[in-house]
Amino acid sequence: MNMRREQLAIDPEKCTGCRRCMIACAMKHHGRIDPDLSRVNIIGLESQDLNVPVICMACDTAPCIKVCPMNARIRQANGTVTTNTDVCIGCRACVYICPVGSPRINPYTGRTMTCDMCEGETEPWCVAACRQEKALTLCTQGSVSQRAARQAAGKTKQFHTGGCV
Amino acid sequence: MKLVIIGNGIAGNQVAFDVRTKNPDAQIVILSAEDVPEYDPCSLPYFLGGECQQTDVFRKKPGDYAAQRIDLRYDAKAVSIDPDKKRVAIHTGEQIGYDKLVLAHGGDLFIPPIPGIDTPGVFSCKQLSETRKLAAHNGTRAVVIGSGAIGIEAAEALKRKGYEVYVIELMDWILPSLFDEPTAKRLENELTGYGIGVFTHEKVLEIKGAGQVTAVVTDRRTIDCDTVVVATGVVPGTALAQTAGIETGRGIQVNRQMQTSIPDIYACGDCVETIDACTGEIAMFQLKHNAIEQAQVAARHMLGEPVRYLGAYAFARAHFFDTHAATFGKTQRALDCVFGDKRIVEREDKNNYLRVVMLDNRIVGGQAIGTFADELGLLIGAMWRKDDFLDIAAKMRTLPKGGAVHAWPMVRLGHLLGM
Ligand SMILES: Cc1cc2nc3c(=O)[nH]c(=O)nc-3n(C[C@H](O)[C@H](O)[C@H](O)COP(=O)(O)OP(=O)(O)OC[C@H]3O[C@@H](n4cnc5c(N)ncnc54)[C@H](O)[C@@H]3O)c2cc1C
Ligand code: SF4
Ligand code: SF4
Repeated sequence: MNMRREQLAIDPEKCTGCRRCMIACAMKHHGRIDPDLSRVNIIGLESQDLNVPVICMACDTAPCIKVCPMNARIRQANGTVTTNTDVCIGCRACVYICPVGSPRINPYTGRTMTCDMCEGETEPWCVAACRQEKALTLCTQGSVSQRAARQAAGKTKQFHTGGCV
Repeated sequence: MKLVIIGNGIAGNQVAFDVRTKNPDAQIVILSAEDVPEYDPCSLPYFLGGECQQTDVFRKKPGDYAAQRIDLRYDAKAVSIDPDKKRVAIHTGEQIGYDKLVLAHGGDLFIPPIPGIDTPGVFSCKQLSETRKLAAHNGTRAVVIGSGAIGIEAAEALKRKGYEVYVIELMDWILPSLFDEPTAKRLENELTGYGIGVFTHEKVLEIKGAGQVTAVVTDRRTIDCDTVVVATGVVPGTALAQTAGIETGRGIQVNRQMQTSIPDIYACGDCVETIDACTGEIAMFQLKHNAIEQAQVAARHMLGEPVRYLGAYAFARAHFFDTHAATFGKTQRALDCVFGDKRIVEREDKNNYLRVVMLDNRIVGGQAIGTFADELGLLIGAMWRKDDFLDIAAKMRTLPKGGAVHAWPMVRLGHLLGM
């Protein structure tokens, strides 16, 4: 398996809910200013006055890959897990099994999309868009151990243990 | 090591390719009863309905096997096993020796004993070859017998192809092993809304037609039709294992390393009986993700790694046209014969519905339709962690407003549960 070298870390405490990351993501992947086309999703938890950026963690044992009936969820060379939109039928199994509910539905095609870490760019566009608040940052293995990065990314407890230890 | 795998399905391929990745020297043979590379049965209804091409159902290309030096033998149906001589016999009479054997031959379509079940015009979609025949058939009115996940998917596919479709279910509601009545009734309404006829609590008595199906007779009505699809479930294949004297229950019995009762014979996938990872009960889920995980365990154990299968889990989606629903864990009905403090939490908002099943304040199952389903994974996580519902409720009440950043995963869960 391709181990992921970089991890997006989220910090809900710093997130103001401005959704600039969502605009940046939609611009990068679809060339449009349309938060519905973003792979990052900001969930507003009103009772707590909290904004939580939800993004694919590229789980090592990604359950979404195993439950997809079309085998459309694919592990990429950079470790991310993305959807092959040619075969995705929009059944949403990957959304339902995902421990954080990260895959988003492209409202125009009905197919899913998740973070690809802006492969080929110097840094993901959402991270650039959030440079001031730093609610979304990039952790590399050198700067922080992967485990800590994962904790920061929301895996504070193991969310999902697949079939074996 | 000579590894022989019976069954070129999801589990068989996972074992073969996993072993090859870590052991370049093993001799690997796959015996396949079919004549195609690995395909995904889960994709078949979408091929049938024209939502994908036939090529999209394949998980492997013919050349993938040779590239990994895996000897795939087409049209080689294993018929018996001799564990003393360590040999498998195939239907041609040929004997194939093994050092390690993996039974990954899945299950067989359950064919109900209905008069006329072998009339031309009666199809199934368990295997690619069957599905191809159904896809090539020119019919206009179809009756689907059985409303499990496969039956519903087949009904949708035929409706997409322009058929008039009726689904007949013996139990009181559709998808009876996956959903409780309130959820299933909502889904039934959606199905009828798309123009699919649904008859529950009805028994098929006979399939009529001489030379070609003309009607299906139930205990309540006669439905004229030219196509019948049998989707009455899959039974684990145990007969082959019994020829070797392997212990079987509802499926082939295995330990936590996927070993059967006979040394050097493993089993994984739809043909085995395992335990539920969350409750420890005997489980027969027959789902793709379980087949993959069991095969991974078998491969790792064969390679000498310490490994332990945690058990299978139920997770299924019900998706047709614009309706999206999912279920995991136990239904309320499945809890009927379990002692304990049971509680159901329900939420409803227009067409969206959430139903969470709890036993002794732990989430043991859930069903959702629409937007609530989008966060179902949070509940699945809570089930795995055995979160205490009362604990979460108490914490949610005492969280300081705006001061509980660290607790956001729990806050999301609490929100979903309507706290
Ligand atoms: C229409 C349909 C839809 C489904 N949808 C879903 C879904 O959405 N989600 C989900 O989780 N699961 C789904 N499933 C179930 C899933 O496909 C199975 O759990 C999975 O394929 C099991 O893998 P397996 O390797 O055990 O068996 P299979 O994939 O069935 O493979 C068994 C193979 O063994 C071969 N074989 C049988 N007997 C012999 C023999 N004697 N000798 C040699 N070869 C033999 C068969 O030809 C077959 O190729 C679906 C199944 C069907 C039929
Ligand atoms: S979509 Fe969800 S389950 Fe799949 S890899 Fe990403 S975080 Fe994991
Ligand atoms: S929505 Fe698409 S990618 Fe997700 S499980 Fe269904 S087919 Fe696979």
